[in-house]
Amino acid sequence: MTIERYCAPRTLDEALEILRAGPVSPFAGGTDLMPQSQAGRVRLAPVLMNLRRIEGMGGIAENDGVVRIGALTTMTQLMDSAVVRERLNILWQACDHFASDQLRNAGTLGGNICNASPAGDTLVPLLVLDARVELAQKPNGRIETRKLPLAEFLLGPGRTTRAPQELLSAIEIPLPAEGFYGAFFKLGTRPALDISAISIGLGALHDDGCLRSVRIAFGAVAPTAIRAARAEAELEGRLLDQDVIDAAVQAADTEIHPISDLRASGWYRREMVCNMLRRMLEDARSH
Amino acid sequence: MPARIDIAFRLNGVGKRASVAPETSALEMLREVIGLTGTKYGCGEGECGACTILVDGVTINACLMFAADCDGRDVMTIEGVNATPRGEALRRAFVEHGAVQCGFCTPGIMVQAWHLLESNPHADQATIQRGIEGNLCRCTGYKKIIEAVAAAEAVERGQTPVEQSREVQRG
Amino acid sequence: MAELRAKTSPQGSDPARGSLIGKRIPKMDAPDKASGRTRYIHDINLPGQLHAKILRSSERHAKIVSIDTRAAKALPGVHAVITAADVPWQRPIGVAKDHLPLKTDRVRSLRDEIAAVAADSVEIAEEALGLIRVDYAPLPVLTDPVAALAPDAPRIHPAPQGADGGPSLKPGLPVAYTGKPDNVAMVMEYAQGDVAAGEAGSALVVEDVFRLHYVTHCCLGVSGVIAEFDPSGNLLLYSNTQVPFLHKREFAELLDIDPGRVRIIQPPIGGGFGSKLDIYPFEPIAIFLAKITGRPVKLVFTREEEFLASPTRQPVLLKLRSGCTKDGVLTFREVETLHDNGAYTSWGATTPFVMMQTVSSLYRVPHCRYRTRAVYTNNPYAGSFRGYGNLQATFAVEAHMDRLAEALGIDPLEFRLKNAQDPGEVTPQGMHFKTCGLKDCLRTAAERGDFLRKHAANRARWSDGDPVKRGVGMASMLHVGGGAKIYPSDGCGTILKIDDFAHVTLITGASEIGQGSETVLAQLVCEELGLPLSAVTVVNNDTDITPWDVGVHASRTTFIAGNSAIGAARKAKDKILALASSKCGDAAEALDLAEGCVVKKATGERVFELAKLIRSLHFSDKAELVMTTHYYEPPSVHQDKQFKGDVSAAYAWATQVCEVEVDTRTGIVRLVKVTGAHDVGRVLNRLGIEGQIEGGIVMGQGYALTENLMVEDGWVRNPNFRDYKLVTAPEIPEIDVSFIETMDGEGPQGAKGVGEAPAICIAAAVANAIYNATGVRLTSLPFTPERVYRALHGAAQPLEWNVPQ
Ligand SMILES: Cc1cc2nc3c(=O)[nH]c(=O)nc-3n(C[C@H](O)[C@H](O)[C@H](O)COP(=O)(O)OP(=O)(O)OC[C@H]3O[C@@H](n4cnc5c(N)ncnc54)[C@H](O)[C@@H]3O)c2cc1C
Ligand code: FES
Ligand code: FES
Repeated sequence: MTIERYCAPRTLDEALEILRAGPVSPFAGGTDLMPQSQAGRVRLAPVLMNLRRIEGMGGIAENDGVVRIGALTTMTQLMDSAVVRERLNILWQACDHFASDQLRNAGTLGGNICNASPAGDTLVPLLVLDARVELAQKPNGRIETRKLPLAEFLLGPGRTTRAPQELLSAIEIPLPAEGFYGAFFKLGTRPALDISAISIGLGALHDDGCLRSVRIAFGAVAPTAIRAARAEAELEGRLLDQDVIDAAVQAADTEIHPISDLRASGWYRREMVCNMLRRMLEDARSH
Repeated sequence: MPARIDIAFRLNGVGKRASVAPETSALEMLREVIGLTGTKYGCGEGECGACTILVDGVTINACLMFAADCDGRDVMTIEGVNATPRGEALRRAFVEHGAVQCGFCTPGIMVQAWHLLESNPHADQATIQRGIEGNLCRCTGYKKIIEAVAAAEAVERGQTPVEQSREVQRG
Repeated sequence: MAELRAKTSPQGSDPARGSLIGKRIPKMDAPDKASGRTRYIHDINLPGQLHAKILRSSERHAKIVSIDTRAAKALPGVHAVITAADVPWQRPIGVAKDHLPLKTDRVRSLRDEIAAVAADSVEIAEEALGLIRVDYAPLPVLTDPVAALAPDAPRIHPAPQGADGGPSLKPGLPVAYTGKPDNVAMVMEYAQGDVAAGEAGSALVVEDVFRLHYVTHCCLGVSGVIAEFDPSGNLLLYSNTQVPFLHKREFAELLDIDPGRVRIIQPPIGGGFGSKLDIYPFEPIAIFLAKITGRPVKLVFTREEEFLASPTRQPVLLKLRSGCTKDGVLTFREVETLHDNGAYTSWGATTPFVMMQTVSSLYRVPHCRYRTRAVYTNNPYAGSFRGYGNLQATFAVEAHMDRLAEALGIDPLEFRLKNAQDPGEVTPQGMHFKTCGLKDCLRTAAERGDFLRKHAANRARWSDGDPVKRGVGMASMLHVGGGAKIYPSDGCGTILKIDDFAHVTLITGASEIGQGSETVLAQLVCEELGLPLSAVTVVNNDTDITPWDVGVHASRTTFIAGNSAIGAARKAKDKILALASSKCGDAAEALDLAEGCVVKKATGERVFELAKLIRSLHFSDKAELVMTTHYYEPPSVHQDKQFKGDVSAAYAWATQVCEVEVDTRTGIVRLVKVTGAHDVGRVLNRLGIEGQIEGGIVMGQGYALTENLMVEDGWVRNPNFRDYKLVTAPEIPEIDVSFIETMDGEGPQGAKGVGEAPAICIAAAVANAIYNATGVRLTSLPFTPERVYRALHGAAQPLEWNVPQ
């Protein structure tokens, strides 16, 4: 691995220009890229590009019912944000379960998404929150952006629909309605510093014992973090009684494809998704 | 010819220039290029916290940071933390509360504790435990470290810790 | 963790004015360490130094067909590339001398060293490794210790051969290594009484199979060494060894030079825990490279290497059969174990020494039989690790104490008390418990942990429908606390000098490995000489200066080196008081040392200032200095061939009560509280001993719940902290420790060694607690969520003993 050039552009424009010119390894916090490249799991391109100096690619702003989060926002910045804590609390919970203070200070939301680990902790709440990603490129002298739902962005472990000349510039989240209930669960023996063996996100609106706008997402039980459409459908608008919970859990069981690895067996992952989804739904009922 | 990058940054309050290869980590730069060995290598993968340093006021794992990324930033290591009043209070608390055994984890934990008290002046026990969750210690079982940080916090609030090892020297 | 302050028993500190004993004394090296000033081996760089890297096997078991180092040698910046062919004079190392530093004809595990490079930088050395081509001819891989005993199993250590089919080690060289006819590395058998008779007299017999897993030390400072030769061929080694004097001799043998020409300097160590008791190949390899290049050579592991190539705790399969009468008196115990030795023999293979002590003597058992076989496989090999087999043995023995008690309907505390040792007892294995606080430990831990009430209450909740269960469990332990005579001498030397300003330099053979021994030694000396701690400097890390010591192991340093330091201090005191007596006319017996002065014993009246008195001796016509030496050899004996004998001068005891919370929906076990009672003889430095015990408890927690070196078919699957899970700060339990002070007659100020004790009981007590919470008994470690969940839901594979005789 010989890196021929290192650059730290100050503007998105400059960065996209460099990307257009040839193979580049962009990084933000570097907390994925650095260990992956040192262990030889990732080959660095001849140009190493530091994204952190790009102005305007961080920050959290709310506009017209949409929260826009710059890709360079760190986990710590997310946790410090009042909007995130109050209105997107499920994302806040996931950040709280993320690695350690040191890593939360360095790791970015954009990095977590682009790394596209099936166990990426922010992906599950972002799926629950119907987040969209914004990608930017500069094909013929002008910056062009496209936006797409996160679920369409994630393809598989470490794979996304991002084109090599594109950067993830921002994440947009429609503000959930007042009273939105969100819960995140990460299985592990530690509060944080742990890669999820499974994780679950649940979001919904309470309506007279029923759940509406139900969204369920799972991490680490499929090649990407996934939404569980069938389980959601079982719950949508129904009275949250034991039968409905059972049906939702059964549906979820059909939607996941957990593998066995050194962290857990597929069997155990499946059991945990079922047990913990059940527990979360029971908690939601008593909430 | 592999690239080299000339960078300039503040290191423990003093301007510093260095020339590094792009793949060099901030940890390697501090230890091997600059010769500040208080920051330790424990894993090189962000898991142990022995390499914790402050960059622009927040702690990060120096092993996961590209050295080149230090350019233009304000870096503080254990050597700089030592020279601050809070660093001194922490050191005294670590010594008096028996928070140091082999000591290999200690500089990293000192830096992390410094940052914890900076960003959370009223850290309670649970907050301290969470605050150092990214720092592994194989010797102490953490209890005395947590006590030491709590004691340093009490000193900052102007409350001297209840229990002090004044018995050390007699006469 | 609801509460942090350790509760310690009020007794202990000497009421005598000014005594340091029992106080909370900060470690002398702590200020340097806390400010990042301490220079560990990683921080030392010598002028002209080269950096070394080792090429390890990519095969688990294979013949080495050829090694091509030409491209590596041609790389600019490379000074040497060596293989076994370059050091035909190398000798086998390790406990059984079955291990060549650089492998000749075959590799036996993934960690095996094939070649090594010395280069201008670590990066160049690494690049050079990538250029070395090794051709292997794979051999059948043997990774199941049970299969290793099969008559047709592949042999791990056939007689070594060179490429030409002849002996690979040059004839004429003094090499003991001739291969092994089968895969059995070591057999140890012990018996007392008549087990058949014991069984016949039993009203109740239980039998279980237990499986203990691989864990590893995870010292936060990775292994490293710097080797340098001077032009006359003298070797200087910067090493983190725990046994400098034994290694001095071994390195000299390895190089075929006079041991007097080997000097070992021990920089402060980033954790030991038993990992640095043996010589491992990286050390001789650094020495070979230094010899060949004529330059200082530094070799430091990466964390991954540390996981792959440093020793482990030995994995054990263990069958235990125990019985008792209907009144709850133990009748017999029969143990058979199979140890996975891995590819080579290090100290791990000798852990049965300690295991059989627990089996025979933790509780009174008239009839006992114990048999261990350690077999070679293509797995990583095991070394010594804090507790030394005792975690494994205690895990099994204490499970049976609970099972028997339950079957008889006696509570676990009463059953243990009934069978516990008393002071004065000499066990059939020959251990003499001059002091023994076991019963006090049991009662104190049970009472402070509210054991009986909680034990009964938890059981009553087994079927109450709450998915989160609570449980308490207890376990006790016995461990050597006054050294262990495993070498011809278990002694330690001290040189003590008091300078013209009454400043003491204590030169001790005992190494400091972070446990705080230097502070305790200084404290003991101050106690004798009536000086403040600031008046003592401890020198303990240079074999050219320090007197002999057998090494830091077996929790022996406080006891042995402490007695040695006291001996030297007493001689100095005698000399000073004799001088003072000759000057003031009072009898020496009527004088004492206190607060830097010679004082009258009866009144405390100051007679001389110590510094002045010493100067008057120095600058007199007799011109003498106060310098003394002392060698302490504990009154213990070597075990005989039947493994009988009083191997330690004192024995340490402890009981720990663990309280857990088990989430039956996930299998997650949370260690909520540990209540420990430790017979430590006497508390010398309260701060230090609390630190040792808390650290040990959390290490035991890791062994029980989170740590697991996953070795599958010889591959280490998790050589990193991401998946090898050390306990982190938020996970620690509430800890309550009481000290039982039995004032050991032989111990320094009554103290016993405790370094290993606190880690030993946790896994056993947690297993008992999980049973108390759920009614399910786990016999395989560690209790990771998935394993516990499987067991709770009947999806666990029962363990079988299918080991050929
Ligand atoms: C010890 C440790 C613990 C961890 N624990 C967790 C955990 O608990 N949960 C979890 O989810 N993750 C965890 N991680 C993984 C990692 O920290 C996160 O994925 C983090 O969010 C990555 O952010 P980053 O900015 O550091 O990414 P980087 O390493 O900078 O980048 C990651 C990848 O994304 C690309 N990239 C980054 N930003 C952009 C962008 N704006 N546009 C296009 N491409 C981009 C990079 O090229 C790279 O391939 C852990 C990592 C370590 C080392
Ligand atoms: S060395 Fe950086 S976290 Fe371990
Ligand atoms: S004191 Fe040794 S690792 Fe913390």
